[in-house]
Order: sequence, then structure tokens, then C-alpha cells
Amino acid sequence: MLSTPLMRRAVLALAMAFAVPLMAAQPAAAANVAETFVDQNLQKGLAILNNKSLSTAQRREQFQSFLLALVDTRRIALFTLGQYRRTAPPADVEAFTVAFKDYATAAYQSYFARYSGQTVKVIGSQQRSPTDYIVATQLVDPGKSQAPLEVDFRIRTDGGSPVLVDVSVAGIWLSLEQRDQFVSFLGQNNGNVRTLIAHLSDLSANLSKPAN
Amino acid sequence: MRGLRALILVVCALAVSACAYGPPTREALAARDPYEQMNRDTLKFNAKIDKYFVIPTVGLYFVLVPETGRKGVHNFLGNLSLPIIFVNDMLQGEVTRGAQSAGRFVINSSLGLGGFLDPATKMGIPGHGEDMGQTFAVWGAKEGPYLVLPFFGPSNPRDAAGLALDWTIDPTNFIHMKQHVWWAAGRGYFTLLDLRSQTWETVQGIQRNSVDYYASLRSFYRQYRGEQIRNGRAGEKPPELPDF
Repeated sequence: MLSTPLMRRAVLALAMAFAVPLMAAQPAAAANVAETFVDQNLQKGLAILNNKSLSTAQRREQFQSFLLALVDTRRIALFTLGQYRRTAPPADVEAFTVAFKDYATAAYQSYFARYSGQTVKVIGSQQRSPTDYIVATQLVDPGKSQAPLEVDFRIRTDGGSPVLVDVSVAGIWLSLEQRDQFVSFLGQNNGNVRTLIAHLSDLSANLSKPAN
Repeated sequence: MRGLRALILVVCALAVSACAYGPPTREALAARDPYEQMNRDTLKFNAKIDKYFVIPTVGLYFVLVPETGRKGVHNFLGNLSLPIIFVNDMLQGEVTRGAQSAGRFVINSSLGLGGFLDPATKMGIPGHGEDMGQTFAVWGAKEGPYLVLPFFGPSNPRDAAGLALDWTIDPTNFIHMKQHVWWAAGRGYFTLLDLRSQTWETVQGIQRNSVDYYASLRSFYRQYRGEQIRNGRAGEKPPELPDF
């Protein structure tokens, strides 16, 4: 028979053994604020993309306004500058956040347009911290027998209302990828953020043109 | 043994080439890419191969082979890889996934007419990928510096070694046939065609959206491999991500 202090320690150890994994990977409560946010907005976004009554220009305009309302582009922009955010002149950083907004909306739009006609389903979420969620979804193409595409959305709620800060497709996070390429570009251009802004502006203009 | 010889040759060629470049920059070291300049040149070389040899035939492949045929080729090549996937499943201790790979191989090789059809998926046994690079990672091997291999593209020492070992354990290498070189060349070529036709839109998208295509590809490769090693969402642990 175990002595009482030893028993208490054993119970505590058992409690910790269960508590630690829970603390490390706390599953979010069903249909939490982030899941609801993603679900509602995905349906809205796909409704715009699938709306055949809109002209291409109207669809683009509506989708852009829709994206800007839910994506925190400034936050993503500052993240993607990496270490150059601290060393670049503040005016350049501000100009970059504006250029990034145009680029991100054009890139996201070109990206999401590929998924028009597909159905999406929120399948769960994980809470990384009290204000940091990852919402898992599956995109299914009704016309193809392929496995569903796994798309995750990173939602932050520290500013009060939920905002989208990153999207992962098949495990690849777009903001991480953007940071990697911007930092590499800046490394090759003496950290000159203005060169990156010029490059981004050209890219945004190209992305905004119809694909064919 | 051919695979090991190829690996030694590639490593020697890369080591000799690396000497021709200067010391790595601070940024390259920070990006865990000390051979960045050499890698960028190799990517340019691969792009030329792609432009002049691969893309024209991918176009022909799309024109001459209907979608059903391309799907059949994709299934057949995937079926040929199943013994290698099975070995890696087992080496990683993934017994259930190993059983799935073995089951898929038996079902698709027989009912699937040599692998051209995929009845196993319809029976509820979906496919998955595994390779020796992933096995090394599961065993604790670090990826090492980023590398772009001639012809093969993005890699690292761990994945390059894995690629060579996968090649070495491929059962088709042990089948005696008179024209083995043609079989190997044909399989390699169709694997390239299949891969390129499957990733056509993705690659176009990356090229179109990139500020720095090389860095973008590097990031995609590292993140994608990380996801493959974790077997998708199998861990159900929140991914380690930087704070915003």
C-alpha cells in the first residue's frame, strides 16, 4: 500500500501527465469564435467567387473588399519584413505595408479564384494561445475524385474581433513563405525596402490582370 | 548499388562545385542555405532543362494522352513505388500505414490491372507517400543545408541520401531484364512527366506570385517536407509557428 504523501505525489503526477498534453495541444471548444468566423467568411467568399451574375471586374472588386475586411494585412506585412522591420526607415516600412496590402489582395484573389466551384467544410480547430487559433478546413472539388485539400486558417483575436493572419494549404503557410522570399530579396538588395516596394507594385499590377 | 554510386557522384560533384564559390553571406547562413549561389545556378540549369526538354514533351503528353490515360500512368507509377513506401512505413514503426501500403499493392496490382486502376482507394484504403528521407527525419536526422540537385531540384543532404537509398532498395532493380537501362530511363522520364503535369498549375502560380522564385521554392520545399514527415495532421499538435 502506498503511503499518503507518495499517493498524493502519484495522483499529482498522473494529473500532470494528463494536463501537460492538454496544455500543449488544447483543442478549441466546438464552434468557437474562430471556427464561426472562418465558416461564415468562407461561405461568403465562395459565394462571391461562384456568383455568375457578376462581371469579372465586379467579382474582383467585391472579393477584394471582402478580403480586406477580414485579413490583417498590416500585421502580416510587418511580419514578412523579418529582421528588416527593425532596420528599415519607418517611412519605408509604412509605405511597404500599403504596397503589401495591394500585393496580398491580388495574390490571395488569384489564389482563391482557383477554388471557385468547390465546397468547404470546417473540421475543427486548435488553440495555440488564448488569442491564437488554427482552424482546419477541407476543400472538396465535387467534379473530381481526389482527396479533399486541407486548408488551415490562422486566426488572432487579440485585437478584439477575429482577424485572419495566415493560410496554410497542405501544410504550407503563406505568410512564412512570403517572409522567406522577402527577407531573401532584401538580403540581395542591401536591405532596401524601397526596391521591394517597387517590385511588389509591379507584381500586384501583373496579378490584377486577367490570367488569360 | 547504383543508387549509392549516384549519390557519391552527386556529393563529389557538389563538393567540387561548392569550392568554386566564395564564402556564404550572412543572409545565406541565416537561411540555412550556405551554398545559395551554387543552388541558384543549379536552379537556373534545371529551368533550362525544364524549358527545352520537359515542357515541350509535357505539352505533347497533354495533347496525345487523354486525362484517363494520364491518371492510369500516375496510378501505375504510384503502384511501383508502393514496396518502397511499405519499407519506409515499417522502418518508421507505422504498422497500420504499412499494412495499407501492402494492401494497396496487392489490390491495385491484381484488381487494378497492374496498377493502372486504383480500386484500393474506392475500397477505403487511401494512398500516402513515404521515403527514406522522411524515415531518416523520424529517426532524428537533421535536414542539413538546403541543396538544389541537378535534375532532381530542391533537396538537402538527408533527403538526397534518402533518394539514393530508395533507389537502391527499389525491387524493380532486382528484376533481371535485358534492357534494364531502357526500363529505368522510361520510368524516370514518365515519372518526370507525371510530376510536371501534376504540379503544372502550382509551379506556374509560384512563379507568377513570387518576388524571389528561388527563396519561395526553398520555403515551399522545407514546409512541405515538414508536413510530409509529420504525416499531415496525424500528430494533432499545434504546429510550431512564429508569433505575429
